[in-house]
Formats: sequence, structure tokens, C-alpha cells
Amino acid sequence: MSEPSIFFTEVNERQGVFHRRAFLMGGLSGLGLLALTGRLAHLQLLEAQRYEKMSASNQFNFRLVPPPRGLIVDRNGVILASNRPNFRLLVAKDGKMDPEGTVKTLAHFVPLDAERQARLTKDLIRAPKRSPVSVMEDMSWEQFSAINVRAPELPGVTADMGEVRVYPHGGAFAHVIGYVAKVNKEDIQPTGPNSEAIMLHPGFRIGRQGVEKAFDLRLRGRPGAQKVEVDANGREVRQDSGGDIAATPGAEIQLSLDADIQTRALEVMGDESGAVVMLDCRTGDVLCMASAPSFDANRFVRGMTGSEYRALANYERKPLLDKAMSGLYPPGSTFKPTVALAALEAGIDPEIRVNCSGGWYYGGRTWRCWKHGGHGSQNMHDAIKNSCDIYFYQTALKVGPDPIARAAHALGFGQVFDLGIPGQKKGIVGSREWKRKAVKREPVWQPGDSVSYGIGQGYVNVNALQLAVMTARLANGRKALNPRLVRSIGGKELPSGAAVPDLPFQQEHVDYVRGAMIAVANDVTGTAYRQSQLGLGDVMMAGKTGTAQVRSYDNVADRNSASVQWKLKDHNLFVAFAPYDAPRYALSVIVEHGGLGGATAGAPRAREVMRVALLKDPEIRARIEKPLPMPELTPDGLAEGAAPDAPTAGAPPPAPRPPEGRT
Amino acid sequence: MSVSALTRPGERDRLVVKFSEIDWLFSLALCLIAGAGALMMFSIAGSSWEPWAGAHLLRFGIMFVVMVALAMVDLRVWFAIAYPIYGIGLVLLVLVEVIGDVRMGAQRWLDLGPLGSFQPSEVMKLGIVLGLARFYHSISADDARFSWWLLVPILMIAAPVVLVAHQPDLGTAMLILMTGVAVVVLAGLDWRVIATGLAAAAISVPPMVMFVLHDYQRKRIFTFLDPESDPSGSGYHILQSKIALGSGGFLGKGYGLGSQSQLNFLPEKQTDFIFATLAEEFGFVGCFSVLFLYAVVIFMALRTAALAHSHFGRLSAAGVTATFALYVMINGGMVMGLAPVVGVPMPMLSYGGTVMATVMIGFGLVQAVRVHRYSEVTSGKGSFL
Repeated sequence: MSEPSIFFTEVNERQGVFHRRAFLMGGLSGLGLLALTGRLAHLQLLEAQRYEKMSASNQFNFRLVPPPRGLIVDRNGVILASNRPNFRLLVAKDGKMDPEGTVKTLAHFVPLDAERQARLTKDLIRAPKRSPVSVMEDMSWEQFSAINVRAPELPGVTADMGEVRVYPHGGAFAHVIGYVAKVNKEDIQPTGPNSEAIMLHPGFRIGRQGVEKAFDLRLRGRPGAQKVEVDANGREVRQDSGGDIAATPGAEIQLSLDADIQTRALEVMGDESGAVVMLDCRTGDVLCMASAPSFDANRFVRGMTGSEYRALANYERKPLLDKAMSGLYPPGSTFKPTVALAALEAGIDPEIRVNCSGGWYYGGRTWRCWKHGGHGSQNMHDAIKNSCDIYFYQTALKVGPDPIARAAHALGFGQVFDLGIPGQKKGIVGSREWKRKAVKREPVWQPGDSVSYGIGQGYVNVNALQLAVMTARLANGRKALNPRLVRSIGGKELPSGAAVPDLPFQQEHVDYVRGAMIAVANDVTGTAYRQSQLGLGDVMMAGKTGTAQVRSYDNVADRNSASVQWKLKDHNLFVAFAPYDAPRYALSVIVEHGGLGGATAGAPRAREVMRVALLKDPEIRARIEKPLPMPELTPDGLAEGAAPDAPTAGAPPPAPRPPEGRT
Repeated sequence: MSVSALTRPGERDRLVVKFSEIDWLFSLALCLIAGAGALMMFSIAGSSWEPWAGAHLLRFGIMFVVMVALAMVDLRVWFAIAYPIYGIGLVLLVLVEVIGDVRMGAQRWLDLGPLGSFQPSEVMKLGIVLGLARFYHSISADDARFSWWLLVPILMIAAPVVLVAHQPDLGTAMLILMTGVAVVVLAGLDWRVIATGLAAAAISVPPMVMFVLHDYQRKRIFTFLDPESDPSGSGYHILQSKIALGSGGFLGKGYGLGSQSQLNFLPEKQTDFIFATLAEEFGFVGCFSVLFLYAVVIFMALRTAALAHSHFGRLSAAGVTATFALYVMINGGMVMGLAPVVGVPMPMLSYGGTVMATVMIGFGLVQAVRVHRYSEVTSGKGSFL
């Protein structure tokens, strides 16, 4: 190593080199700092707006807010389905939380049994990050506030207030309105309205049955959004109420149903299994469509346990089945007015008498009348009034299946009506054409088929709604009314069921059949006389009884035995309209396995339901409370009184003469 | 009480005189930077001295006193302990290789029992500067330009770089390498050698990246090249930092109102990415001011180096300055998305005791060079000790 000296040249040379190099280093540092400044200027001055946007989208999240589901109300605005506040406990997974520990901690605040805890933990582990899992719905205020106080210490836990669907009438409307339930994986579709993000919200419910399902999209509304400031873990820091987007509530749906009538119908059904349908004979509005026994739709909203559901599904009387629309029954004798009308239209003289001796031998077998001793000589009026089977065996044979099928179709049998909700079963209206297509085993219509067809057995199957439509059309007498269940959606009225063509029957034929139905309920010898008295003065009911066999009675001695097993008993049917002189309300009642004769189980119930409807009608009420003075002239003949049009409030109605039997 | 080359030698050794010779403008710039760091730490802790701002100021205060104390140490003492410090640093690096703690996947820490633990690589940051300055002090300009003597600095640089890189701590290894190269260049290395070295480095980088680096290191580099390819994964740091910077705009979002840092979108907000925090809340104006302070520090330190009469003083002051400038450039480049994410903090501004200590001890040396700029440091041969 050369000894470094302090010779000037040597030192100066090193110093000079160093100074030049240090100057260079200073320059490089300056350039570096300048480059940093330039980059800063680029980011902070030129691209500032772009990064501001990115920063804001980091900082603010829009949290979806489920819209209030549209109300469902009855014709008078009585609420059938609404929403009530619901304190909800939610847990969302985030990076650091321990699902099992969190669930265990929560069990101190709300009751969670071991099974539920295990399931929640599993759900949480599987749930996507930050998507909340509902731990408990419907907490009490105490639970809600306890959780809210401690939420800051529990990562991912929030207690918030949502809304939950409530059906104030419990089971009365369960089949028509249906219910809502949690969204399943199968509900979420890749496109369309069921692809929206709100579907994943734990407070969101989807319509599952009836009106809730059919009008789900209208009832849903549009979700709103809440602007919240979040941190990097997605945790909510604060809310910015200024940036909220309000949710649009779902449309209100008004049904034509009347809550009072429906509730009464279900009440009178009691434990029986069956259906009650009532229509307004002037408009076609469905006032009541009840299926019994029913179930509490609120239980479905909350979520049922498996055993609860199995109990409902396995019960013999099938509460989950909507018997009003999808229960099919042989109409039995309630089919006789239809056969009579077909006969009249076919030109058969109603005064031609048939002798009923209780049995009629035809086609190698004896066809029995329900009355052992027989009815004796019957014209058409008597035969309907007494529900004589022999008359209708023979008449149906004379008329043949096709005219009967035409009349049945015209009265609404074999049809599916546009109610807006799914689930109607079409049923069967037998004809030669139908049998050729449907019954492959024996495609030819046999005369014997016509004989049983005449009393509403065999190749005919109807539902309670069709029976009510038939009755309403007969009662109206002129219009082929269509039932209307949904009156308006979001304030927009749907077309009335009365804007329809006329019935293809001669007016006098309809009047004749109607007169006979008045006799059923008001002639002392009528099959339902005792059970059809409304006790409302001169406001009276007309009807027709029916019994639908569920098995063959050829080898059974006593059809009416009380000892017969419930499942083997006959269905009991009754159709009615009132007031018979100016019909407003038509109804059908089916009591499954209610026993022989429509008057025993069906008519008393029909009477109760009818009374509610009549007493609720202010015009009818006025008529009952202030009877108009007796007119001077008393027209004779029962059919005279049945005017199809409703009397206006001021004009005196054509006062009918009470039938002679009435005391 | 101005000191000049003509001041009586005894006069210059008086403590009061020495004290007055400390570069107070330079010190003021350091205080302002550390104060700005504490200000940001106060903000991101939600207007609280805990847990960072108070500790940061306390550390700075202590290290400031240490710096002043070191400034009083005669340059000849520094000269004498230059090789020992380098040697101790090397020994510690070997020790850490053998018995060091593995933390976060790297063997960087040496456990000192009750005294805590520290990273020997920090000693080497100063040691390499002192060692090389000492070496170049002893050889002529011609030998420094190009001679067999060059093998000595090459070995002196290569040994710690290889050891640190093996830990693995690539950031620190690069820092030591670049600091060493800076001293060698400042000492007067021939331009042709520099050019050849640069070319060789440029050629060797791609194969180094592909074959020598660890997976996570390689990933960082690829992420740097295309940060938006994976915004929630490995590109997250760079992207969030750029958002914080850009969204600050000209004047910033306001003190305590930086959403990126306050809401934890910004990672390492009090340490490596504190510059982004500052940028978000104080905007371009705040960033420019702080960069200006760094410029002041760098140029005042270089001026000190230029003023020194001894070659050892010149090289050691300039070497420390080079380390400091590299810190600023690498961290600044990283925060602004110009350099890959490596764990290099912004000196004085970032929270962290180790770097604070390293830098302030280095500046103690720089101040000592300034205070003793007229001292002639004679070559070894035990002239002082």
C-alpha cells in the first residue's frame, strides 16, 4: 500500500475526484427526488379524480335494504297480509372471527340449543365472507338491546330491525294467499328478477304459494340502499343517511275476498274437511274461498321444523291441500240443475212425469233412488226439489251425454278460470268425445254412463269453485260470470268478471230450474227445507243438495250408518244462492265424508255463511230491517219472484209471495 | 464563534466550539421530518399518542441526543473503530446465520436476552460505510481508480451482501450493496469499470430473478410490474397506496380525514406506507414539503462531506448520505408504485426504532465529520490509538 501523504497533488487529486463524484451524487439524488415529485404530481394532480373515485368506492358501500313487501287486503281494505318489525340477529363472517366461538357466545344472549349451534357454525363456515347468516329472528326487545350493547365486542355480529311477513288471520286465507319463505338455492337464477342481489339478503322472503307466489314480483317492490362507511374488513363504521336510496314498497294487492265471510266459513267448517266458495252473482267476485282444515301460514314464514311439517303433510284431512280449487269431487245431485237445463234446452217438456218407485231396472241392473220407497210421480220441478234419482237417470238417458256436457261447460264445469293464482284442477265433464280420448280401455260411451251422469256420478268431477260458478251463473241467469279473485294490483283495477257473454240458455229455462232450486230450500218437502231457513224475513235462499259417493253401495245395506269409517262416508255437497228473488250471493259447500244428503252437513254451513254475507250487505240489511209494504197484487208461481237484476235501493223489489210451506 | 481552517487547533477541541459547529439547519430538517411522522401517527391512531406517535417522538428525542453526542466524538476515534465495527458486523452476521431467530420466514434476528433482539444487518449498514471509507483513505487516487486493490472493497461488500441475502433479506442486501458501490464510486472508480459493472448487473438481473430469488420475492417483483392484475391479492398494497396518494389531490383530504388510512385500507400505514398516509391527508403540498425536507437533509449532508478535509470524513459522510438517499428513493418509489414492495421504511417519517437508530447514528457520524472537518486523519499505524 502506498503511504498516503499529505502532498498537495495527491490530496487534491483525491479531493477533486471526490468533489466531482459527490456533485454527481447530489445531482442524482436531486433527479431522484424530482422523479418522485413528478410521480406525485402525476398521481395527485392529473389522476386525482380517478383515485378519488376508487377511494370513495373503498370507503362507502351500499348495503341493500329489502323493500317492504306489498300488503294484501280484502275487498273492504281489511289487511290479510302485512309486515311487522322483526328484531333479527345476524352474523357475518370476516377474516378474524371464529365461527364456533361466536355462536357459543351468542348462546348466552338468545336461546340456541346444541343442534342449532352446530348447524349455525356449519352455515357460517360455509357462508361467503361478509354475507350475513341469520341466527335468530323475532328477538324480544330485551334480547335485541342486550346484543346491540355488546355488538362492538363481537366481530361480525349485528342486531338489526327488519320486517317479517305476518298474516293476521292466521290460517283463514292460507290457501289463497299462500305464504313467504326463505330463499332457497334453487330459487336463485342466473338471469331475470330472481338473479338480483337482494335475493341473498337474509331478510328477503320469496312467495311460495297462492297470491304470494303468483304476484311475487309485484309484491316485492324495489330494494333500496343504505350508504355506509366501511373499513378494510368490511365492517360498518358509520351510516351516511344523506346517501340512502329509499326502497320502493311492493304493490298493494286487493282481493275480492271478504275477511268476515271467509273467517266465518272456516269457523263453520270446524274440524271437517272440505271447501266453501262464495261468489257475488252480479260481478263474479270471489267473496270467500276457504279450504278446511287450514294451517297457520305464519309458521311457514318463521320456518318449520321437520316434524311440524310432517304432521301437517301426513294428516288424513290434508290441511296443505287447497280443496276449493284442486279438490275434485263428483258433484252428485248438485249436478241435477245442469242436467235439467240441458233437458229443457233439448226440448224435453218439464211436465212429463216419471214414476219413481225407488228403483229402476235398466241395462241389466237396478238403479236405485236415494229414497227407498220412491218419490212417486215426478215432473222436473218435483224431481229437482226432491232430488229424485230415477227421474234424472231416465232424463239423462233421453238427453244423452253431449247436450249435458254442453250445458255443464256453459255453466263453468270442466274449466280453469283466470284467478291469477295457480292450482285449479279442471275436473271432468264427460261426453262421447271426451270418453273416446280419455278412456282408452273402453272408448265408447255406454247408455249406462248417461244414467249415472244424470245424478252427477261417473264421468263427472268438479271442484268447489266450479260449483260456485255454476250456481252464480244460474242465479244471475243471464251472464256467464267469471270468478275474479284479484280486484286490483297497486291501485289498478283488474277487469270485472261480469264483462262476459250471455249464457247460451233460454231465459225461461233458467228461470224454471231456478224456481225448482228455490223449492229445494223453501218448499217444506224440499230436501233442504229445514236447514236452509235464514231467519232473515223475506230474504231467502235457494239451493241444491248433493251427495257424492266415494264407494259403490250395491252391497251395502244402510248407506247412512254412523258406524261407517270417516274415510268411507259420502261427500256432502250443497250449492245455494240468496236472496232468491234478487240473487246477490252464490256459494258452494263441500264437506268431505260429511255423510248422506247435502242437507245434513252442507246446508247448515251454507246457511251460516250466507247469513254473514247478507247481513253485511247494507241494502239487504235495510230490506230485512224495514220491510217494504206488501204490494197489492200477489203474483202466483214461485218462479215469478226471481228477478235476475238486483233491485236498486229506492225501487221496490218485486215482492215474492212466500212459498206456501213457510210459516 | 465561527471555526475555520485557521482556528487554533486547541480551540477547535473545546466542547462548546464543537457544539456550535453542529449543522443546526440540518438538525432542524430532521426534527421537522420526525415531527411530520408523529403528526401522521397521531392522526391514524384516532388522535391518540398511543400507540405510535408518543413512542416515535420519544425515540427521536433519545436518538437526537445520541446524534449530538456522537458528533462530539473525534473523527480519529471514528477512524480507529471503522474496521472493528465492520468486523463486528460481519461476525454478527455469521452468528445470526448460525444461531439467529427465524421470524416471519427470515433469519434476521439475534436474541440478546434481556436486551431484546436486533438485526445485525443494521450494524452492517454503518459498518460498510466506515470500513470502505477507512480503506479508501489509505490508498491513492490511482489505486482507487483501477488496481488490484479493488479486490478488497469487492470482498468487503460481497461478504455482508451474501450473508444478508441468505437470511433472506433482499432489501437490506441491496441497500448494503448499493451503499458500498456508492462509496467505491465516490472514491473515484474508473468510469469504464462502472460502465462494465452496470452492464453486467443489467444482464444478470433476469437470471437472478428467475433462479436465485424465493417465490415470494419473485411474486413481489411481478406484482410490481403489473399491480392491477390481482387487486385483492398481492397487488393490494401497491394499489391501495396509489389510491391513497392519488385521492389526496392537491391539498389532501384534511388532517384525520384520510379514509384509506383511517379505515385500514392502507396496509402498514404507520411504517412502510406512512408517506401514503401523509399524501392522503395533506395532498401534494404536504408531500412536496416533506420531500423538500429530505432534499435539505441530503444536500446539507453532502455539503458536509464536501467540506471535510480528510478523505475518510468525506467518504464516510457521503456514504451515510447515500444510504439515507437510497432509503428515501426506494420507499418513495415503492409507495408511488415505481418500485417493488420491499420492507424499506421512509427514514425518520416511519415508525420503527431500528431504522431510526441506524439513521441517527449515521447522522451522528456526518455531524462528527462536520464538527471535525478540519481534522487531518492520518493513516493507521496507531497514530491515535
